[in-house]
Amino acid sequence: MAKRRGEVAASYAVDANSGVGEAAFSRGPARLLTADGDRHDGRQLHECRLNFLKTGAVSSAAGSAYAEIGQTKVIVSVFGPRESHKAEAFSGIGRLNCNVQYASFATSVRGKANQGAEEKEFPVLLHKALEGAVMLHTFPKTTVDIFALILQSGGGDLPAVISCASMALADAGIAMYDLVSAVSTGYVGKEVLLDTTLEEEKCSDGEMMVTFMASRNEITQLKITGQWPDATMREALSVSLDACAKLANVMRECLKEELAGVDEDE
Amino acid sequence: MGAISAAEVSYIEGGIAQNLRSDGRGRLDFRNIAITTGVIPQANGSSRCKVGGTDVMVSVKAELGNPPKGRPSHGGMQIKVECSPTANPEFEGRGGEELSLELTRGLERSFLGGPNGSGAAIDLSTLRIVDGKTCWVLCIDGLVLSSDGNLLDALSIAVKAALRNTGLPKVEVVAGGAEDEDPEIEVDDEESSQLDVSNAPVIITLTKVGKSYFVDATAEEESHMRSAVSVAVNRKGVVCGVTKRGGEGLEPSTIIDMISVAQQIALTYIPALDLQIAAAESVDPDS
Repeated sequence: MAKRRGEVAASYAVDANSGVGEAAFSRGPARLLTADGDRHDGRQLHECRLNFLKTGAVSSAAGSAYAEIGQTKVIVSVFGPRESHKAEAFSGIGRLNCNVQYASFATSVRGKANQGAEEKEFPVLLHKALEGAVMLHTFPKTTVDIFALILQSGGGDLPAVISCASMALADAGIAMYDLVSAVSTGYVGKEVLLDTTLEEEKCSDGEMMVTFMASRNEITQLKITGQWPDATMREALSVSLDACAKLANVMRECLKEELAGVDEDE
Repeated sequence: MGAISAAEVSYIEGGIAQNLRSDGRGRLDFRNIAITTGVIPQANGSSRCKVGGTDVMVSVKAELGNPPKGRPSHGGMQIKVECSPTANPEFEGRGGEELSLELTRGLERSFLGGPNGSGAAIDLSTLRIVDGKTCWVLCIDGLVLSSDGNLLDALSIAVKAALRNTGLPKVEVVAGGAEDEDPEIEVDDEESSQLDVSNAPVIITLTKVGKSYFVDATAEEESHMRSAVSVAVNRKGVVCGVTKRGGEGLEPSTIIDMISVAQQIALTYIPALDLQIAAAESVDPDS
């Protein structure tokens, strides 16, 4: 297989509503925004972090993908379809078995990340984000295993896992209606911060995670935490959907390049 | 929540499409809600909420603890929901775990506010005692006694009622002004102060079947639900948390519409609930 094909590094900015005056920024806490109204990593409010995506990261898996989104690094392997366990009831449609874990070195405090209720919910949310996108009827009575490992936690861990998992599923040749891309958004004062980092996640007034099938125009999963004024919520939602659509394009591009590489080799 | 036949599914769907459900309700009608408060004498506050055949109980215990990291002037809140096997044999052992987790996270998203603690159901700074050292931690424990659908909504009502029922004992800081000393705190159980719960949200779950959505689904109606959106709204109509349930995708415009329908319902639903909670409080001999 061709080396370094199918690797896409891209940065993309969402068309920010340019009417935001400088005065608006003074209200946001100085911790998250610089005097110019930019974020500490130099991004604008509605700008995603740099990302790097690659499929075929694990050779023994049916399909796999590796994703770097800013400081967040995740790897997802897909195995199967395999026969469902005997203990499970008969099912005319396929099952997804999801597992999300933090590497013990993924966070600044060793091995603490796997314990909270929030992290325990990750596999459930991954499952819910993907089950609407996978054509489960194409593999009845069988199970597809999705194992995700977060190598480095840098904010937006779950969205990174979800986007990466849908690429891994595509790499494994599991039939899907559409790729699922995900992004998390926060807000401070009146400003919506797209694709939040760990630091921004901790300090924001509220957070939102959207997982989206861009071509089908369907939200597969949505979770909103904290109090959101109506206008802010709508703005965050539309900015998130836009970012998801653009991320989906990058993901699709990456898969295509990988395939083109395979064809040339044969 | 066993499987139901295709005929039953089409019966339920047809009823919802015609705005007349099998128990005679319209799409936006709730079942009877019964609230009692002060049901657990050992707790600082408690309540029991019945919504039709669904029966849940919530206790609030106030404990002295440490303020959350990075927020020295805030108190803490913890939420945990348990599903008892008395409600449904499926909840035995690990069976109830996934549901417990879903309910716990659903309540956490709605009542604990954003990551920096703003927008929580009660102003967390009212729980402070000694900045950076000691504060009240409210341990909110929910228990599902009987399950006939719409558990999250029932639990949110019970949490709100239990918080309103909660009396925080009066505390006095006796010693420990110095930096590295642990403060000594005297708790006076005789006198207590009430919490301000006017901002506490209530969760309204809209279940989508076909093209229409409806509130307060029974277990039967939930059993073939494909997608639902749980929206937490406070009495000002501000959204305090959203959880999408079920795996089927929804169009963004549908979700926005569902959220605004929930906000509309909340404008009449929450004042009515507040009245009911106040009525329950007035018959409670403890308060």
